[in-house]
Amino acid sequence: MSTELLIVRCQLGEPDALTDLVREWHPTVHGFVRRMVGPGAADDVAQEVWIAIFRGLPRLQDADRFAPWLFTIARRTVANRLRAEYARPEVELDLDRTDDDDAAERLTDRMAVEAGLGALPAREREVLVLAYLHDLPLATCAEICGVPVGTIKSRLSRARRLLREELIRREYPS
Amino acid sequence: MTTDDMLDRLSGPLSRRRRLAHALVLIAGLAGAAFVGLLWATEPELPTRTQVAFGALVTLGLCWAAYGGWTLTRRTPLFALDRVVAAWMALGATVLLLGATVAVVVTRDDPPILPVAAAAVLLGVAATNLAAVRSRRAALLRRRDALTGGRRG
Repeated sequence: MSTELLIVRCQLGEPDALTDLVREWHPTVHGFVRRMVGPGAADDVAQEVWIAIFRGLPRLQDADRFAPWLFTIARRTVANRLRAEYARPEVELDLDRTDDDDAAERLTDRMAVEAGLGALPAREREVLVLAYLHDLPLATCAEICGVPVGTIKSRLSRARRLLREELIRREYPS
Repeated sequence: MTTDDMLDRLSGPLSRRRRLAHALVLIAGLAGAAFVGLLWATEPELPTRTQVAFGALVTLGLCWAAYGGWTLTRRTPLFALDRVVAAWMALGATVLLLGATVAVVVTRDDPPILPVAAAAVLLGVAATNLAAVRSRRAALLRRRDALTGGRRG
């Protein structure tokens, strides 16, 4: 069944469709939330995300854009939970340095990303999760985070460098 | 947390019966408060204790309406079919309200026109809303049938 058909059936209020929607997307929602807020609060935040999704579903116009729409809601709910963390100014690093970029590129390994996520600031963490762990294009990440693509690129660069430093600190082989 | 665990947690928004129950709470609360308010406004020279009782009943109705409204806007939204059912409920409630208003007003020596006009306006709003939600559901049904090649009813 196509995503658009599933969404239309949900908007009609078909109980099976709503259940199918949760079955299909819950692992994605819970995975994103768990990586952002940690396992302790993940269940409650994921529930809030689903309630917000149901609340917005009747007004969703473009069913083809369901995935970015869902991540936007999930990100907003997470940002609400991590309000203090998101309020902090972004980490300033010397972005002109490129000597580590090749090494940083190697850190796209998913397990490496998962291992060091918790040490990253929220904005850098969310970009890594969206781009690497959910394989979303940068333009979609920018839409979800409500910032230009250039900002996503610079956050990704910062995130990789911070992640590399974190993994080296833990003596993780990079 | 497994998907089934999450489905259990979401049993409220996923239950049509609960969604419609909240719609009923909202509509009944508003209609009840409006009717008691009508009696209160059209009854001349009430003793203070009766006025307090009327005020308490209106407040009670509005509290139930606020609860239903909060739930529907924040926790358990209405989907297309729910909205059609809720719109019929609202239409029925406003028909009853208009009938009750006319029945109360005609007993007065100098019948006030404003309560009847207000109830008639509410009836018009309810009828317009019903037409809009039926139209929206019909559009979704057409879209669903187009996506399934007309295999569904």
